[in-house]
Order: sequence, then structure tokens, then C-alpha cells
Amino acid sequence: MSIIAFIGTRMLYAVPVLLGVTVIVFLSLQLIPGDIALTLLGRMATQAQLEALRLDLGLDRPLLVQYAGWLLDLFRGDIGNSISQQLPVTQILGPKIVNSLILMAGSLALVLAAGFLLSVASAPRFRTFADRAVVALTLVLASLPVFWLGIVLLYFFGFKWKLFPISGMYNMVDPGGLGQLLHHMVLPAITTAASSIAVVTRVTRSRMIDVLGQPYVLAARARGLSRRQIVLRHAVRNTLPTFANIGGLQIGYLFGSVIFTEIIFNWPGVGLLLFDAIMQRDVPVIQGCVLVVAIVFVLGNMVSDVIVHALDPRKR
Amino acid sequence: MMFRKSNASRQIARRMRDRLAGTALVLLAASFGGTAVVDLAHAEGNTIVFAVESDFSRLDPHASRTWNTFKVVRHIFETFVEEDLTKGGSETPAIVPALAESWDVSEDGKSYTFHLRKGVQFHDGTPWNAEAAKFNMDRMTDKNFEFHQPVSPGLMGWMWQDLAGYEVVDENTFEINLKQPNAEFLRRMAAGGSGAPRMISPTAVKTHGNDNVEQHPVGTGPFKFVERVVGEKLVIARNDDYWNEARKPKADQIVLRGIPEVATRELALVGGEVDVIGTPSPDSLEFLKQQGMQIISGDSPMLYVMWINTKDPHFKDAKVRKAMCMAINREDMAKYQRKGLARPSYGVLNFGGPGYDPGYKDCEYDPEGAKKLLAEAGYPDGFTTRMDWTFGAGADVNTKGDAEWLQRDFEKVGIKASIEMFDNNTFWEMMSKGMRDGTGLTSASWGESTFAWLDQVLAAGALPPNCCNSGYYSNPKIDELLSAARGAASSEEMDKKLHEIRDIIAGDMAFTSYYTAMSTYAARPEVKGFVLAPQHWFDLTSITKQ
Repeated sequence: MSIIAFIGTRMLYAVPVLLGVTVIVFLSLQLIPGDIALTLLGRMATQAQLEALRLDLGLDRPLLVQYAGWLLDLFRGDIGNSISQQLPVTQILGPKIVNSLILMAGSLALVLAAGFLLSVASAPRFRTFADRAVVALTLVLASLPVFWLGIVLLYFFGFKWKLFPISGMYNMVDPGGLGQLLHHMVLPAITTAASSIAVVTRVTRSRMIDVLGQPYVLAARARGLSRRQIVLRHAVRNTLPTFANIGGLQIGYLFGSVIFTEIIFNWPGVGLLLFDAIMQRDVPVIQGCVLVVAIVFVLGNMVSDVIVHALDPRKR
Repeated sequence: MMFRKSNASRQIARRMRDRLAGTALVLLAASFGGTAVVDLAHAEGNTIVFAVESDFSRLDPHASRTWNTFKVVRHIFETFVEEDLTKGGSETPAIVPALAESWDVSEDGKSYTFHLRKGVQFHDGTPWNAEAAKFNMDRMTDKNFEFHQPVSPGLMGWMWQDLAGYEVVDENTFEINLKQPNAEFLRRMAAGGSGAPRMISPTAVKTHGNDNVEQHPVGTGPFKFVERVVGEKLVIARNDDYWNEARKPKADQIVLRGIPEVATRELALVGGEVDVIGTPSPDSLEFLKQQGMQIISGDSPMLYVMWINTKDPHFKDAKVRKAMCMAINREDMAKYQRKGLARPSYGVLNFGGPGYDPGYKDCEYDPEGAKKLLAEAGYPDGFTTRMDWTFGAGADVNTKGDAEWLQRDFEKVGIKASIEMFDNNTFWEMMSKGMRDGTGLTSASWGESTFAWLDQVLAAGALPPNCCNSGYYSNPKIDELLSAARGAASSEEMDKKLHEIRDIIAGDMAFTSYYTAMSTYAARPEVKGFVLAPQHWFDLTSITKQ
């Protein structure tokens, strides 16, 4: 199958998943306790005003009709207006998606770099001290809850040693360029990446251990290849599809995790917006945020599949 | 097959190690990106970075919501009169002239004639006059007006419920007529939180349209709107042409941020990224002081009310309700649970509101007496009930801890109460449905500088499905008295009616309260001039940095 046909099929597979997501997101509006009209008009609204608004919003129509209308608007890129800001949700959400993607990309870079290096450092020395140390490290990383790790990093690196800023993406008084952004990103990116580093390292390491036990590695040794050549040329090359696969799967996961990180570090992305929206019961914004997270998740998995497909000649 | 013992593997390992270290260094260097030292917020002139508990709502005064948002709205927009919050202290703030230089009230108390301040301009240069006042009144109250704000009537019933009409008398005179006198009319006018009766530039509304004007809010206030990035920051700057020299802002610019996570808020303050924060955790006050921060606290009308379910089989009996009141050790609660940042409170009238009497108590703390009352009511061994509680919002702190404190107090008189916590939105939704079966008690913070909120808690019109007479308390006498208090000709007469209300409620014991919270802020040592008056909001004109 050519790579384009493969991408095409994958995208077709994604359609029902995304439709399913829209159903759930739409229903969440119906299922969460609370009256939207009351939320909009405030506690002092009269019954007549509430009724009029419900009629205006079409809340009296059958659910299926409401869903169809909502989905149609969605295709037109219209998720509605924010209740608390009276702005189109897309207008608020756009810059926040970019901010979250920046943080996600930083975390992903960390995950891939650390996952790769830790695997290469541990697998070829299976059961040595270095290997055990890496395994122990991944166990610790995987067990650190984001909200705890974030605060601890903030306390030591932000407050005690004053190495990194504590909140936001830029300085509020004197916003700077890329340097300032990267400086602000270090702690949140580490916080977000921690548990993914553990997952990627564990999976990649065990795949590499498998590879190193293969007959062709023995044959390569017999032909007199140096260890370094074996690890870098054969072990790494054959571990790469697994590495790309598990690494790609982290895209969606990391994007989901930045929600917590963003609240702790006050990073103005989708997560912080979602939190504010939930606190203010701003339903259209909540829906927009959930949709974005779901879409990134699905796309991330797709990207991972495509990369694996491209890397593995046997699948072509 | 592994390379465990071969020399070659050690060589590889060594090289790997070197490379690892090298890569790590490069990564680290890249992440610092040349700004190795944290740049502090004090880089530029007199800009104050102020972190509050959450982001702001809409900036259209006629559609704005939450006390938090009003903290900003009252600095951009003004109205005929203003509360003087520049002095701080514990006294109820005085009502002072603002966009009206003076006013006359007719003898029957139903007609207010405002003599408008001359020479005042909105930030966009539009002159302030009676036509501008009429434009704003139309926008708030006239459904047929081209620029009517549709959510305004629902949000602002507390302000305009008695409105009969208004008219332009001449260019600088504007008259508002009421259906019945309202002793609190001017004080309510200066308030906000659920809509704010403040004046927006008619030109701005016409230029940007009704829905978009809040992206370009233009008022007459001491601060001008500069920039807003939703979820990130809101910037206001000094209005150099402000009409009131005494209230010309000392700071050049104020950057307001919502930082919901309290630990981040505190660390951002100590780290110098922000200059002032709202509501630090009571447990962090010592830490903040050790770091050289100032703790600024002041009285507030924020009262923690407890609703008692008068429909519940146990609480039907007023004796049982009285026992609940007597079971609460309010003094200790304020002292230990709230670390002294609260005053014990009794009854439904709040500190800083009309009719408040510091010596009043609706009951004495008396666990033995409570037990006796319970025995008389047929519960010598107590009973089980449930408390529905909210995590709160904004300046609410550790309400779960409060619930647990009360739970222990109730257990001492034999009542076993379970606690269920809800997020704030769900909670208020439940409040408008009335307390659930099996729930005996519920609580939330309220209390205002006017008694408008009592209409929403005590009155028959607030019974479910309306909010928030959630304990199903119904007493026609209370409705009569609320209306009479509003229509009272003098504040003495109003207070008398409010005291009657307070005493009837205490007699029936349908509601009680346990403490009034103090508003607490923490600021960097170089911040000066931040004062707190007993109100849910504050004045930012005097704040500065030295």
C-alpha cells in the first residue's frame, strides 16, 4: 500500500471516531446538571425570560434536530459564542491551541530525547547497575503525579534556586522572544513529560533487548562488527518502529496531560481555558476544548501509525 | 546475548556516557536560551501585576457578572454616585458624588434628580451628559431600544425592580423615578457583580455594536482599558484626563491576571512575577511573612450563611433548628479554623451591611442546652442527616474544612451529619431546586453592602424553583417587611425593619450564619497604598510601587 493510500485509509478510520466524539461532546451539554438559560441570564431572571431564551436557543427542539444543527455549525467552524466572554469560541480557542501545542511539542521533544538516550544507555547493558538505575528511574518518573511534581519543581527550581520563572509563557511586564518562551517552558515541559519518558523508555528498552537477542545480532558479532556498530546500526534501526510508535502515541497523551500542567504553571493554553470555562460553566468553550483534545488525540495516533508505516519496509 | 563483561562494551558505554552528557548540556543550554536569570516583574516603571483567583467575565458593565469582574469594571466605568473605598477601615463606605455633582430626592422619596458633572468626557472623547445617561438607561431597561443589552434585565432586577421611568430634564440634569421609595437606591447604584448600572460611551456602543463593545470598553473611570487576552491578562492604564484629581491613579498601569492555583499564585508573588495576590491560603501566611511579603487584610461583608431545611422531618421542629444554632462554636471556628481571618457571625444581617449590630446574637454557644432541646423534640440520642456543601469560588477558602468543623460540633450534641461536596455551579443549580430529601443543612458565602441579597434568600419569591430560599422557608410577614425596608424613608426606619426581619428569622431559626470572612491579600514589600474597605471589591487608584 502506498503511503498516501495508507494515510487515506487511516483518515477514513478517524471519521467515525471523531463523529463519536461529537456525539459525546454534544450530549455532555444535555447531561451535565444545570440549566443553560439560567446560566446565561443569571439567578434573578424571571421564568418568562428563561422560556424566551430557551426558545431562542432552540432548546425546546428534539435532541436529534439540535445535534444535526450543532454538527452543521461545527463543520462551518462555528462552535458558538462563549457565554462568559461573548466572543466566538474559535476566536478564543485558536491562540490557546497554539500555546498548548507549543508546550506539547516541547514535552514531546524531551520525551523522545530522554526515552531514546535512556533506552540506548540501558538495553545493551541489561541487568548491569546502569540498566537497573534506568529501570528504577522510570519507575519513579511513572509514579509522580503531575500536580505534585509540578509544585515540587516550582518550589525548588522556581522559588528556591530562582532558575526558572514560575508562571505563564512570557514576562507580563516585559514580554520577550523565543528565549523567554523556552525559559518559561522548561519546568512545565519536564512536568508533562515525566510519566511519558518512563513509558517510552520501558517499551523501547525491552524491544531493544529483544532485538539484541536476535540471531542476526549474533551473526553480526561473528562477522566482527564492533559493539557500537551493532547497537547503532542494527539494534537502533530495528527498534525504531517501536520507538516511533510509542513516541507518537504520546502526542495525544501529552496534549491531555498539559491540561493539568497548564493550571499549575498558569500556561495560557487549552487546559487553563477549560478549567476557567468549567468554573464559569461556559458550555460552548468546554465543548470546544474537549473537541480539540479529542482531535489532537486522534491525529496524534494517526501520525504515529503513518511514521511506523513509513519506517517499516515489511509493511510496504 | 548481552555484552555484559566485554571490554568493548565498556568502551561503548564510556562513549555513550560522554555523548549523553554532551547532549544533556546542549539541551540545557538551549532551554535557558540566553536568559539565565529570571527577569522580575519590576523591570518597568510603575506597573503593578495583580493576580486574582480566576479570570474575568464580560467587561460590558450591563452584562458583566461576578464580584471579581466588578473589581475591574468599577475602575473603567462610573455612574452618578460612587462608594468611597479609598479610605479603607471597617466603616460602611460613604456614598460620594461621581458623574453627578449633586442630587435632589423628592419628598416622597420616589424621584431622584441628578445634576451631572460638567466637562467630563468618556475615554473616547464623547461628552458625558443627560443624553448619554438616557442612552445607558435605555440600554439596561428598554427592551425595544436598538442597543438594548438583552441579559441586563435578568441580571439587574436588584437595581431596577422599582423603576417607574426616567427623563432628560436638560443637558446636565437627569431624573429617575421609582414606583416606591428605596432607601438603598444610591448604595445599590454604586454596587455591581450581577450587572452594574454604570455608564458606557454611547459612541463606543454604536461604533463597535452591542456585542463587540466589550472588546473595546470605554467609560469615564480613572483607568482606561488597554488590552485583554482572555485567560491570560487584562491591562488597564491611568486615565490622565480623569476629572477627579484626588483619585488619579498613582500607578501607570495595572496588569490583572487570573491564577486559579493558589500555590502558584503564592510562589509567583514570592518569586516577583506578580506584585499582589488575592486570597493566599491561611496555611501559607506564615511562609509569606517569612519571605518578607505584606499580608493585607480587611473586613468584608462576606457572610457564611447556613440554610436549614424546614421541610426535613427532623428539622421541621424549630427546637431542633435552634439546637443546631447553639451547637456551633463560632468563636473557636473563627480563631482556629480560619486562623483569625474571620469574625464570628450570628443571624442573617452581615457585617458592613445595613442594620448590622456587632453585639447581636441569634443564639449562644451552648452544647448542653442544645442536647436538652433535642431531647425535648424527641431526639435524646440525636439523629443522622446530611450537609450539602460547595467548594465555593473566588475568595472562598477551604470550605470543606469548615464543613468538617461543623460536623464535629454537631456530633458533640449527638447529630451525625455526613458531608457531600459539590462544585460551585452544580451547587447553585441544586440550590434553586431546593434542598434534596435527606439533606438538612447547606451553606454558602453571601452578604453584601446592601440588603438586596435577602430578597433572594428569605423571600417567598425565592422559593424553589427560583433561587435561593432553598430550605423552603415561607413567611408572608418577611416579604412584607423586606418591601417595607426597601421603601423606608430613612435609614433608621430601614434598619428597624431589618431588625424585625432578623429577629423573626432567629425565632423561626430558618437560617443562621457562622462567620464573616475577612478579605486577605498578600503584596510584595515595595507595594504601597493598597487599602481594603469592607466590600467585595477595592479601589486601585492609590496602589503604587516604591
